[in-house]
Amino acid sequence: MNIFFRELRANFKSLLIWGAIVVFFITVGIMKFSAYYDNPELLAVLDKMPQVLLDAFQMQAFNLTTISGFYGVMFIYFALILSISAAMWGSDIISKEERDKTVEFALTLPISRSKLITAKIFAALVNCLFLLLITWGSTLINVSKYQPDSDFYNFLSLSMFALFILQLIFLSIGVFLGCAMKQYRRAGTLALFILLGTYFLSIISGLNEHLNFLKYFSPFKYFDPAALLHNARIDTTYIWLSAGIILLSVIGAYVTYSKRDLYI
Amino acid sequence: MNIYKQELKMIIKSVIIWSIAIAILIFVYLSLFSSFSGEAKLVNEVMANFPEEFLIAFGMANMDLATILGFFGVIFFFVQMCLSIQAANYGFSLVSVEERELTADFLLTRPVGRKKILTSKLLAAFTGLGITAIVVWISSYVFVTIFSGEEGFYLKPLILLLLSIPVFQTFFLTVGLLISLLVKRIRSVLSFSMSLAFGMYVLNAFGGMIGDEKMEIISPFKHFDPNYIIKNSAFDLPLVSISVVVIFVSVIGSYVLYSKRNIPSVA
Repeated sequence: MNIFFRELRANFKSLLIWGAIVVFFITVGIMKFSAYYDNPELLAVLDKMPQVLLDAFQMQAFNLTTISGFYGVMFIYFALILSISAAMWGSDIISKEERDKTVEFALTLPISRSKLITAKIFAALVNCLFLLLITWGSTLINVSKYQPDSDFYNFLSLSMFALFILQLIFLSIGVFLGCAMKQYRRAGTLALFILLGTYFLSIISGLNEHLNFLKYFSPFKYFDPAALLHNARIDTTYIWLSAGIILLSVIGAYVTYSKRDLYI
Repeated sequence: MNIYKQELKMIIKSVIIWSIAIAILIFVYLSLFSSFSGEAKLVNEVMANFPEEFLIAFGMANMDLATILGFFGVIFFFVQMCLSIQAANYGFSLVSVEERELTADFLLTRPVGRKKILTSKLLAAFTGLGITAIVVWISSYVFVTIFSGEEGFYLKPLILLLLSIPVFQTFFLTVGLLISLLVKRIRSVLSFSMSLAFGMYVLNAFGGMIGDEKMEIISPFKHFDPNYIIKNSAFDLPLVSISVVVIFVSVIGSYVLYSKRNIPSVA
């Protein structure tokens, strides 16, 4: 329990910074929206745009002049910000002990390694939850002046659920890399590489039908905001797939860390 | 010389990984060009009717997707993103790694001046970035030639684009180094380098949109805007010179700060 609180306190500043980034981003984004709000001219222009371009910028199926549509376009940026923070927290919370030369101390405490990992994972998880709540709250505040309908609120809560799963995926991957990488310095970089790699994959898989199968490799494609908006549900295949990734990474983290050779 | 070799050995693996990753990125995106170019003329026509803010918001102002170079300009944005993170990574860790790993007092007891240490470290980082730049040069040229097909392309804008890479890298390397010497301690290099790279990127993207506030002129993403270079076949010289000035200031500042730096000894 002490470790849990210790980690929460150590990560508090980082949480504040990420929170500020999210709030800033949402505020600026919604400010941008005021130019589109109920602007039929823009809608006409969008209608004329060819399909490829819309696909490339993931603007298909969204009516940018409504708050739901605009939020749907912004969703991918939230997903990026939240998952980057989760991946960094995950890998950092494990690897920082070796970086700051505190790992010997931490492991001489009278608790097992797996307990240490558990406390750390929960601390990172709480951080992720707080960041998600910040995202949710500041979105609600910012959109309130456009009087969104109940559909929007459903869409919003569904997309927050999707964001939460994304956070979990990248958090667990980050923790796993932090535990498994022999060189602690590589963990954060590799986690970021995986994240950006899967993000690029998600763009590519949208561009061309032949590359559609790539979507299974990119968590960003699991939760297509267009599908979330129009079907109002998340495809269960992807939930199972996400659960599998999370479970494997977490188990892998416990197994590898219990055998880890420390870099001292 | 020994320091140079040691430093180079430390980063060479990461240099290779970055270079390959960027080359793959260029290849994959350029290979999509053929499926795009058919409809691209239409795209351009439609885009001409767009409101200006919209184009700027999505980074599509001054973009011509119908030609391979216009398309490459979009990819080059991603390439710049990767290059900036890499260079900032090296810059932030160049000196700070010694303090983090508690090897600083060993290094500074060697019979070598601090200036010389910094010079060797900088040269090693430049070598690493140079290797990456060369890989990007070759792969860009080869892949653009392959995917341009019979239409061909103008060589000059491409060369200008590629020539901008070393200056761009140096900007992030030296600014990263300077910041790492200004702060007391760097715990996680990656969070610093990502904030610098993404921060500059966002300044460029949002700065153009907000308009009046000219914040974006400090961003190298603005100085070396690929769409500008391709469209005009020239650098925006006043802006580029800002980059150069920043680089000079950072290098000089780094030498001054490093030779005076208080380095905590290992307890």
